Amino acid sequence: MEKSIVLICEHANGKVSPVTYEIAAFAHELQRLSNGSLIAVVLGEHVQQAAGEIAAATGIDVLGLQIPGLENYSGEIFRDVVSEELPPLDPGYVCIAGTSQGLDFGPSLAVRLRACCISGVERIEDKSGQVVFSRAIHGGKIHANLASAARTTVLIVQPGAFRPMSAGSVKPGSISLKIMDRGSSLTRSIGLKRMQSGGSALAEARVIVSVGRGIGKKENLEIVRRLARMFPRVAVGASRPLCDIGWLDYSQQVGQTGATVTPDLYFACGISGAPQHLAGMRGSKFIVAVNTDPNAAIFNMADVCVVEDVVGFVSDLLKESDGSSEMADKSSPANEAIRP
Amino acid sequence: MRILVCAKQVRDTQAHVSIDQSGERVIVDPSAPSRMNKYDEHALEAALSVKDSLPETVVDVVCVGPSEWAPLIKRALGMGADNGIHIIADDDEYVSPWATASRIASFAMDRGYDLILTGVMSEDMMNCLTGPTVAELLALPYATSCVLVRLDVSRQVVYVEREIEGGLRDCLELRLPALLTVQSGINKPRYPTLSNMMRASRQTLETIDSASIPGPEHTEVLVGLGYPGKIGSGIVLEGSRQEKAVKLLQILREKSLLV
Repeated sequence: MEKSIVLICEHANGKVSPVTYEIAAFAHELQRLSNGSLIAVVLGEHVQQAAGEIAAATGIDVLGLQIPGLENYSGEIFRDVVSEELPPLDPGYVCIAGTSQGLDFGPSLAVRLRACCISGVERIEDKSGQVVFSRAIHGGKIHANLASAARTTVLIVQPGAFRPMSAGSVKPGSISLKIMDRGSSLTRSIGLKRMQSGGSALAEARVIVSVGRGIGKKENLEIVRRLARMFPRVAVGASRPLCDIGWLDYSQQVGQTGATVTPDLYFACGISGAPQHLAGMRGSKFIVAVNTDPNAAIFNMADVCVVEDVVGFVSDLLKESDGSSEMADKSSPANEAIRP
Repeated sequence: MRILVCAKQVRDTQAHVSIDQSGERVIVDPSAPSRMNKYDEHALEAALSVKDSLPETVVDVVCVGPSEWAPLIKRALGMGADNGIHIIADDDEYVSPWATASRIASFAMDRGYDLILTGVMSEDMMNCLTGPTVAELLALPYATSCVLVRLDVSRQVVYVEREIEGGLRDCLELRLPALLTVQSGINKPRYPTLSNMMRASRQTLETIDSASIPGPEHTEVLVGLGYPGKIGSGIVLEGSRQEKAVKLLQILREKSLLV
């Protein structure tokens, strides 16, 4: 019998998480290269609505595992339930999103299934009959291409790396629901705690000037703030290391566990571009990156690459901008009229 | 309380890296400094702060890696760890995180640790797999990406807060023994002290030959390394710094992105 390709879906508060559709797109791509029937598994306290939405949007058959009391994610219950339910499906591949959930239960699920586990998958291709998965190493400056030597492979897919499957006119997949009574004995879930408002200033900004470790000294943040003032509807963002050392607030963090942003312009100052950061800003419409390291991963995604020291370059930019705005002030009224 | 911290060595992440001729090995600029993986350093600090409040605590540090990594373990002792264990692995090729986890698990199996701490990932390989794999091999409850760790010895539990998406934290309690992977920002790692470094220099590390530990059966294999492809349209501005600034202003103006 043909082995299956299983996708584990994420949902919250009755809504399917957008990353689930990225996993669906990835699973379809994998299916083109390796065959196997697709099965989506969704688990939680209430899964009916999410199961219906996934089946309708993707055309994939859905197995809903309804677990009374499983209000929030529990690593222990996820591992127990999924490792019991999967073997009868004979999975060749298990596709999981590389989120705080997937990276939590995925690795141990692999151990239980005696599967090989590849995390951070960003690309998939066929190399002379072998399915090869690419993942970033060394801050994204290099990619490792890996193949599985195991019967079953757990693939933890990097959020943002695959374009989400768009809802097309597909024949809805079938839905089967199973109610399971499960509890946890070694861990006790206490609930979720909100730490910050979730970067609302970042979400509303049209331009984000974001700063990373390349800024060097805390005093240099001022020049980035001056740069930000050149733009309308602007917010200042940061990569994780700057929040860790307390130079900027965690509410300003852009990245996988910070804010996910899609501004018209993302101006990255001294940001190296680790996959966790890219996951939060790769949807930006136009990206300018300034970094001294010509191999910084951010340049692979940038529309405009400036290999320079941030502080020096931004000072020049401010100087040039001041000069040209003086010129603009002296120019004809007609010229002013076309300014917004 | 017996705590094990798993740590590895990395090269400075700002270092220039390239791929060698075989296409299977990463060459890191040899002048780049080596140091402890920063997430593991946070894990070690978390362990040492337990020792600060419960002085009878023993903190062991285990490292799987080549002989050259021994100074890293000495530094951990210098920071205040009690014992260092070096599982010597002079692997010249790709090492699966499962292999590393098997080595750590086989060592830790009978040592009766109450808590195992390690970084959420390594800065170079960025797998996020070793910690949870060790936990599963030892059948321990675990939590990943912890940004707060609070032990309750009388109840034999540890309360943790995991960093999750959307500015939220997932709060849970785990029964000991347990394994936690630690995220950056949880604490500020201390510097080694002179007296601890003196002690470390006299102390012998326990060494284990990784060849004595059976590896996992089937894992992933490295097909090759490559440079990532470009995604953006990627114009690289040329000229002097000032010329680049002028060009960028022109581009931003054309796109009506300026005030």
